[in-house]
Amino acid sequence: MKRNAIHFYTQLFITLLACAFLIIPIVQSVLAGITENYIVGIKSGLTFRWIEEVWRLYSDTIFRSIYIGLACLSITLIAGVPAAYFMVVKKSRLTRLLEEFLVIPLAIPGLAIALAILISYGGFRSFRMGWLIILTGHVLFTLPFMIRSVIAVMSSINIHEMEEGAASLGAKFWHRFFYIVVPNSIPGILAGSLMVFTLSIGEFNLTWMLHTPLTKTLPVGLADSYASMRLEIGSAYTVIFLLMIIPLLVGMQWIARQEKVVKMKVKGKKKELLTISQEENNDQISATSIPRGTKKLKTGVSIRLERCAKTFIDGTQALLPFDFNIDAGETVVILGPSGCGKTTTLRIIAGLESPDRGGNVFFGDENVTDIPIENRSVGMVFQSYALFPNMNVANNISYGLKVRGDDNRKQGKRVNEMLEMMQINDLRNRRIDQLSGGQKQRVALARALATRPKVLLLDEPLTALDAKLRDTVRVEIDLLLKSLGVTSVYVTHDQAEAMALGDRIVVMDQGRIAQVGTPREIYFKPKNRYVAEFIGSINRIKCVVKCNKLEFPGGSIPLNGTNRVIAGENETVDIFFRPEHAIIVKDGQGHIAAKVASSFFMGDRTQLLLTGSTPQPIKIETKGRESFEKGQLLNIQIDQSSIITLRE
Amino acid sequence: MKNSNSTNLILMTIPAVVIFVAFFLLPMARLALVSIQGPDGFGLYISTLTTPRYLETLLYTFLLSVGVTIVTLIISGISGIFLTRNEFPGRSILISMLTFPLAFPGVVVGFMIILLAGRQGLVGQVTQALTTQKVVLAYSMTGLFLGYLYFSIPRVIITIMAAAEKIDISLEEAARSLGASSWRVIKDVLIPALTPGLISSGAICFATSMGAFGTAFTLATNIDVLPIVIYTEFTLEANIATASALSIVLGLITWGVLLLARSTAGETLAASG
Repeated sequence: MKRNAIHFYTQLFITLLACAFLIIPIVQSVLAGITENYIVGIKSGLTFRWIEEVWRLYSDTIFRSIYIGLACLSITLIAGVPAAYFMVVKKSRLTRLLEEFLVIPLAIPGLAIALAILISYGGFRSFRMGWLIILTGHVLFTLPFMIRSVIAVMSSINIHEMEEGAASLGAKFWHRFFYIVVPNSIPGILAGSLMVFTLSIGEFNLTWMLHTPLTKTLPVGLADSYASMRLEIGSAYTVIFLLMIIPLLVGMQWIARQEKVVKMKVKGKKKELLTISQEENNDQISATSIPRGTKKLKTGVSIRLERCAKTFIDGTQALLPFDFNIDAGETVVILGPSGCGKTTTLRIIAGLESPDRGGNVFFGDENVTDIPIENRSVGMVFQSYALFPNMNVANNISYGLKVRGDDNRKQGKRVNEMLEMMQINDLRNRRIDQLSGGQKQRVALARALATRPKVLLLDEPLTALDAKLRDTVRVEIDLLLKSLGVTSVYVTHDQAEAMALGDRIVVMDQGRIAQVGTPREIYFKPKNRYVAEFIGSINRIKCVVKCNKLEFPGGSIPLNGTNRVIAGENETVDIFFRPEHAIIVKDGQGHIAAKVASSFFMGDRTQLLLTGSTPQPIKIETKGRESFEKGQLLNIQIDQSSIITLRE
Repeated sequence: MKNSNSTNLILMTIPAVVIFVAFFLLPMARLALVSIQGPDGFGLYISTLTTPRYLETLLYTFLLSVGVTIVTLIISGISGIFLTRNEFPGRSILISMLTFPLAFPGVVVGFMIILLAGRQGLVGQVTQALTTQKVVLAYSMTGLFLGYLYFSIPRVIITIMAAAEKIDISLEEAARSLGASSWRVIKDVLIPALTPGLISSGAICFATSMGAFGTAFTLATNIDVLPIVIYTEFTLEANIATASALSIVLGLITWGVLLLARSTAGETLAASG
């Protein structure tokens, strides 16, 4: 970016000034530490005798600080990492209160904490005289830093979804914690560890109050050396201290750079896309051959939901009580706009949410309501895939098998089968962040299917893909579901996906089921306006029944032949028909005459919006190659048997 | 997740809670108790806060901390933004140098100030050469001010740089495309975007300055700031009740400021203390 030169140099000057302020005394101390006589200057000659002197006098303080630092680090790791995990997972008023306590080491001066510890525990002689009391102070002071550092990383990596992914593969609480949560929080744990160790090494406020002549630590030693009134001694000790902390600082910068590299990778994705999209093109060629060579898995179980409702803690009623049955081996698509309760339903089936009291979930004849997801033997594909970034593709796929306790040979065999089935053999050793969206999708499917689940649950699995890829993957999923015969529940807001994949579709609206039926039933016989308008597009005309005709301002339709219109004489009704059920006819033959308001050429067909005859524009589609002009008058005939009336 | 995990989750907090209760909550309660167990009870707080010496000290400490905070924010703010927004040779070395003193404890900072502005310090030598009069700043309030500045600048620069990196640069470019001058861009875009970071790092800066002990201890034990007074009351005069009361007052003030900053900045304070 172009910048004003004066501003640039003013800012540079201020920065350099700050830098000089910070660095000059450090240089002075290094020089003073290695010159014979500080007052005379370098002319007096360079020497290591001050450093040797310091080592003789104070080396015990250095070692004491190091082992207190290491002990403090172990304790903060054991106490801090689980506590951070608790605070990330359990978001509530209580944890928010706990977070306030995390500022304590900054808020309450170390002096006060030390005073409090001394007053309370100073009576225990051996405790007071040993280094354990110093360790206590250090742990108290550094623990919040560890917790905060780990929390920061844990809340940035969507730990919640990854854990749900692991649970869906059968991993229990502690397994998840040690194999998923901890490995993925390593950057935070490392940063926290370095910080804790550095802070413990340099802690003075508490230590000064808590130390005894026999338990001096490094900063206490430093203070002593400064008080010795020989600048050379103080400087020499400072030089030793600097040498000690340089590795720690380098480590911290290294971690920070690692984090940046990861971020850059995410940003740099666009560049990678070129190569990845090429790979995907290659994939598409073979896409249709997926089920080749797979043996049919044993058929899934039936699912029965009984009086399942869900009210969240804040009182929102996400689902009203409902019953629903899914046959073994059936693919059911739950369709609806966001917030209609479709994902909640899926999560109840999965075992990630419990239904309200009184609701029950059955797999076959078994009541699984109180069984958590890890014991339900379901496979789940998450919207964001929830692949584990700490494992490569093969390890992601074998994770469920490993948790189950399969031996290595069996795991390897199954992983090969899955890689083969999903056509991703060459991705076997890739890291997760090296995969494109479509590839991630396949790995997620392979992982979910590897354990041969009885039920496969898919939560909007295509949403994260771009339009073209979505079509390809949809075909793959369709073939896969058909060939596997596993009971599948698929959640989506995309009606095209629902129509293509579902044996049956459940249309949901504001926490209740609006209609259940095959795609054809839903499309041609919608039960109400909501369903009709949500699936495809539909025209509505308000008319009055007069002399066996449906009359409206722009025309009329004879009642005979409209066997699905239920209305008495003189009654006002809304009639509905789909765009493809209207055709353009010659002048004088149609039911409606209307003007073209706009036309959209779609390639294989032309979409027309007609106005002038009805309050709302009518949408029709024509297959002809004819082009239309704005204002052109058209005569429209509607297939009478396709006209329906609907409840509100 | 299902509530079957609750037991395990609660198990996980036990080590941290035990440490916290045993070595913080109970001792702090004891400290509070000690401060009101004297003959005056709560009156001790009133008499402490009306003693001119303590009150003055509290005021000095407060003013010193506020001053340090403001100056640190200005210097670090300018440098932090400058370093994130410009690419030039030597930039990374400059950043390393500015953040090097991050791990220095207060005692070392105090020593740095002695080397810079003490009796045999650089400032003294330079001024002596120029004006024949030796300027010694280290052992006074000015020295302490410099010390806290030395302590705070690296920390605040780190926070500001992290915050500035997150700002969408196209916001600035949009403002410039609409004709805003550099100063207007800073005033209307940069500073508002940096405000949460400035507030939280400023609060931390203030809190550490209020409670810092090492720097003051190294420079001289007779500068009247609150931590030093608490220390002398406790060790030299064995006046445990007053020391406790002053500690609690000091803790409440800093905690109050931090809570205020947290609610204003609306985010967790960056772990940079």
